[in-house]
Amino acid sequence: MNAAMTLARRDLMAVVRSRSQLYSSMLTPLLFLVFLGNGVSHGLQPANLEAGNFTAYLVAGTVVMTSVFSSTFSSASYYRDRDSGLLRLLLSTPHAPRTLLLGKSLAALVIGIVQALVVLLAAAPFVDSEWQYGFAAGMGIALAAVVLVNLMLTGLAQALASRIQSMQGFHLLMNLALFPLLFFSGAFFPIDGLPTWLRVLAFINPLTYAVDALELAAYAAGDDGFIGLGIDFVVLGALAVAVYAAGLARMPKVTWSGE
Amino acid sequence: MTELAIRAVDVTRRYGERVALNGFSLEVPRGSVFGLLGPNGSGKSTFIAMLAAMQPADSGTIEVFGQAPARTLLRRIATVFQENTADPLMSVSEYLRFSGRLFGVPAADLRVRGFELLEKFGLGPRANDPVSGLSGGMRRRLEVVRALLHRPEMLLLDEPTTGIDAEERSILWRELLDGAGGTTVLLATNDLGEADAVCDNVAFIQNGRVVVSGTPAALKAGLRRESVRIGLTDNTAETVARIAAIPGTGELAQDDDTVIVTTDDASTFVPRLFEAAPGAIRSVTIATASLEDAYFQHVRRRGEGGAP
Repeated sequence: MNAAMTLARRDLMAVVRSRSQLYSSMLTPLLFLVFLGNGVSHGLQPANLEAGNFTAYLVAGTVVMTSVFSSTFSSASYYRDRDSGLLRLLLSTPHAPRTLLLGKSLAALVIGIVQALVVLLAAAPFVDSEWQYGFAAGMGIALAAVVLVNLMLTGLAQALASRIQSMQGFHLLMNLALFPLLFFSGAFFPIDGLPTWLRVLAFINPLTYAVDALELAAYAAGDDGFIGLGIDFVVLGALAVAVYAAGLARMPKVTWSGE
Repeated sequence: MTELAIRAVDVTRRYGERVALNGFSLEVPRGSVFGLLGPNGSGKSTFIAMLAAMQPADSGTIEVFGQAPARTLLRRIATVFQENTADPLMSVSEYLRFSGRLFGVPAADLRVRGFELLEKFGLGPRANDPVSGLSGGMRRRLEVVRALLHRPEMLLLDEPTTGIDAEERSILWRELLDGAGGTTVLLATNDLGEADAVCDNVAFIQNGRVVVSGTPAALKAGLRRESVRIGLTDNTAETVARIAAIPGTGELAQDDDTVIVTTDDASTFVPRLFEAAPGAIRSVTIATASLEDAYFQHVRRRGEGGAP
């Protein structure tokens, strides 16, 4: 466990020292929230949303989107470590690859959770969130959803990073897989009014359950039209455990001269 | 009976169609500095990766300190790779702390030993500098410091001095051999001069197997006293055959337009050389027989094998 913590500390330090990555990853979702939220609220005045306030609706989706980007960038650190030679050193230590993977994923998890919470907290004073269970309980629910969705996405990114040799290929595949999932999760528009085939896709999309839990925690005034926290956490919990375990199963490959 | 640090018997490793190790057998005595010499792609790095439990063998037996290579043994082993492994985002001392913790070095020991080693290898004043600010030679020295930090019983060095100048190389070896007393060192290199200077024993590898092994002195003992390196303007087979036919010619190896000949008396051989191949000689260099000559004799006999 010491080795995992050592590695997690090092990965967190690397993110803190990459100032441009740190600032852009924090600012991008906030700018997205401000400009897209206000633009759509005032430009289109969406009739299906309460008081036409798209910014408040968008908070949950932006938190999930932040987790998606965060897990992608964090897992891309495998490629930096491989290219800098550090991965080779890690593999020559007495620790099992699973311990090393655990350390790296812990860092990715912390980064994802912190970024998601920054978005949630930064947006709270500026949007008319309901916090129907009270602010403290709502934040607790949101935190639980954020932890589970980050666990799942970190596991997914890790599993892909261990199988794809190039960082470009990894980013392409992550974008290809995760953008459609984001679109049909209720992150940017409610899934209620969608055609049946899209609603079916939305219900088999794990991100839908994260968005639903976050909407219920912060935005919604009641449970009507939502999946419900019970189902959300059962689905998210099961997937988080399964995908994270899959992510710990295989270490990215290091090639040898002559191979 | 000599205690062995490494014992490999008939080891084979394939990468797809390519055979990296092919019936590779080797014994490395404990506490010795042992050189693995061979051209690029001869299997040196693959064997080191196997000893460090980073690659499995397809067949054969490998023992490190009497056991099959395993992660649990890696606390007793340190590997210096051909490539630098230091994280460019860290400072020198942060990198050592990071690496030391991964090898279970206690925090207090880490500080003291890290400082001592940095001073010893001339990196003390750079302890707080970022790794990215170090020169190539300093980074190689830092790799060795990192490897010595947890007091390994065995050092696996995969071309540790690649890309550094002669002075840096000399500092690195002096401090390494001074600081690694009693440690078994396995050095994979294609620098024959370096191996001749530092190794107690060497093995020449070609096409994934050990061709010959022994002390540098024993390998050189069978050679004629002098080595004549001949630069040719005409490197045709006919010219080389005429050189080979000169009386007193020992072993002959050709690499493109260079021919190396061993002989007992260069002063009589060289005049005969100009008579045998008039107009075909560009340069002649005479030297005392070296490990390179032994390598040519065993591995690249008459033009066989790749560049060392």
